[in-house]
Amino acid sequence: MDNQGRKHRILMVSDFFFPNFGGVESHIYYLSQCLLKLGHKVVVMTHAYGKRSGVRYVTGGLKVYYVPWRPFLMQNTLPTLWLTFPIIRTILIREKISVVHGHQAFSTLCHEALMHARTMGYKVVFTDHSLYGFADVGSIHMNKVLQFTLADIDQAICVSHTSKENTVLRSGISPEKVFMVPNAVDTAMFTPSPNRLSCGEIVIVVISRLVYRKGADLLVEVIPEVCRLFPKVRFIVGGDGPKRVRLEEMREKFSLQDRVEMLGAVPHAQVRSVLVSGHIFLNSSLTEAFCIAILEAASCGLLTVSTRVGGVPEVLPDDMIVLAEPDPEDMVRAVKKAIDILPGIDPQVMHLRMKKLYSWDDVAKRTEIVYDRAMQSSNTNLLDRLPRYLTCGAWAGKLFCLVMIINYLVWCLLEFLQPAEGIEEVPDIGPLLTHLDPVDDPCEAQGD
Amino acid sequence: MKGVGNQIRCQPKWRKVAYGGRQPGYDDNHTDGSFLEEMVMNANVVKRDFLKVMIDSVSISQYLCIVALVVSTWTHTLNLAIDEITLLKFDIGLLLVGFSVLLLTTSPFSLKLLWKYVLNISFFTSGLYVLAPICHTLTRSICSDSIWALIVFLLLVHLFLHDYSGSTIRPPGALNNPKLTSNISLNASIVASVLVASRLPSWLHVFVIMLFSLQVFLFAPLVTFCIKKYSCRLHLLFSFALMVMALSVTYQLHRMLFILLLALLIFISLVCPYWLIRIQEYKFEINGPWDEAKLCFDITE
Repeated sequence: MDNQGRKHRILMVSDFFFPNFGGVESHIYYLSQCLLKLGHKVVVMTHAYGKRSGVRYVTGGLKVYYVPWRPFLMQNTLPTLWLTFPIIRTILIREKISVVHGHQAFSTLCHEALMHARTMGYKVVFTDHSLYGFADVGSIHMNKVLQFTLADIDQAICVSHTSKENTVLRSGISPEKVFMVPNAVDTAMFTPSPNRLSCGEIVIVVISRLVYRKGADLLVEVIPEVCRLFPKVRFIVGGDGPKRVRLEEMREKFSLQDRVEMLGAVPHAQVRSVLVSGHIFLNSSLTEAFCIAILEAASCGLLTVSTRVGGVPEVLPDDMIVLAEPDPEDMVRAVKKAIDILPGIDPQVMHLRMKKLYSWDDVAKRTEIVYDRAMQSSNTNLLDRLPRYLTCGAWAGKLFCLVMIINYLVWCLLEFLQPAEGIEEVPDIGPLLTHLDPVDDPCEAQGD
Repeated sequence: MKGVGNQIRCQPKWRKVAYGGRQPGYDDNHTDGSFLEEMVMNANVVKRDFLKVMIDSVSISQYLCIVALVVSTWTHTLNLAIDEITLLKFDIGLLLVGFSVLLLTTSPFSLKLLWKYVLNISFFTSGLYVLAPICHTLTRSICSDSIWALIVFLLLVHLFLHDYSGSTIRPPGALNNPKLTSNISLNASIVASVLVASRLPSWLHVFVIMLFSLQVFLFAPLVTFCIKKYSCRLHLLFSFALMVMALSVTYQLHRMLFILLLALLIFISLVCPYWLIRIQEYKFEINGPWDEAKLCFDITE
């Protein structure tokens, strides 16, 4: 490609970032780190977390703007449409951004930032990390917002093929615009234990939030049955949530206190030490776009048993995972199958395979291609873009147009009150200047 | 598309997997025939037929008639066309009829249940009797127009949020709890009854009319629910009788009200079912691998 060597200046926007922890947060963090290594400039923008407000630097000189907006529900900022424009505009100009990359469909900050960035003519990329339904009121609402954001987007990224299908259906965007770039796992952090565990007792590890969507109710049915069938099996359950009470009730009811250990919430730094104490990892999610937890377990050399939902079947090769339908009987069957094939599994071999299958550097390179594509898309003015919004629906289309027109006027007002020339630009420091030539990468072999 | 030539010779087939990095020869936005092939459309759509929808809508018309009858009774009492003793006799009659319907339709008949009902009703009645003098003077300082407006508003809320498929007061042994909206609806009707009662001339009037309205609002849905469960034919017959009664009573009361009620009944039992059947063809339901899995067993907390 002609603009292969071109360096981007990327702004990652999401409501979800460190100190919060989860799939989206670690995706943004690792992706940013690897993009920095590739010589791009990356700045992250999120909302303030408690006292953590203002500009911070994290590992590798990654600059994070904690915008002083308070979250109001599930770590989301209040949707204000135009009120975030001044600060987003200032950051975009200060950092001389070229691509704005928003993450997660239910982050209001992400949607607003993408809207403002489009108004100002920046290239925008969006990554969708979750699956949504179509039928309930919440989903219908969310899908309309997504349709608005994706109506005028340059490129979109989804974390699995199933997620791509879901996003295309929800937003009506053309599938050619949607790239599948998966998550990855930090294989250096999730290593198997150096000495192999004895097979005298089989330990099944569960680490997930104990909520309905993660299938905690399935666990309540599966654990006693597995304990009854296999006297050698022991469970370690890490995680907390509203369904923890049910699991504890189950433990008392079947007198499994000595065989089911409940750890409560496990900090991410200790996840590895919990994982390496087990042989099998059990995931009982009811919906999952990708599931990083499976990757972490596989990287630690554990055999995974999982429900066949969402993007999970795409995540690992068939010989590294045992899939089951999300009903207790089939899951017990899958656990039985996993216990049967367990002697043939070598954690070290599994770890080495994972190293070849997933790396964040590969993810960063693939994302880089998406940025290159986004930069190639033509510049259009507001009048050319309005019809794209108008096609979003009979009422919604007109409403979206109105929102964009007002946003344009707000931009004009801001340009008048605080001209772009008056905003001081930040000098580039750190890795950007030292890595202007492409860096060699250990995972070069994976490309073409 | 420069790789088309050697695609046949050495290129591995594209697979729908996320592992192993970029698939050689394919871009990440590669979309082929397998895209959306697991999508299922309109898998669980129920075909409705007109007659069934019409019969289902009878429950709504029936309850509307009950409310119309209550409003007519209120109006007659406020105009002092019915005196309190007649109304009291009517109350007792209604209570006995309701009771017998309940006992006949809920099998098996048990003395314990009957005793429980009798005890509850007597507590309830004596409570009302004690509270009647307070209700009598409750809204004295408020002008009548605001009260009428409020009553109309509350009744509309009541009708709008009413649980037409079940009953807020559960029959013995019912599993699930009533929903929030049906509770709001019941409360709105009770406030409306208190407001009406507070405009009456004597506290005996107040007691009698309160007893009447509460009986209807609390127990009529339960009684009709039991009838419906017992026999559908009886339910239709009963509803039809109620409709005729409500129409004739409102006809005597006010011509405008009669026309309004008639129009509403026609709208509910003819226009709405037709409308529902018509918009069925626009039904568009999508299912696929991205759906949240449903548990195949009951979660009992």
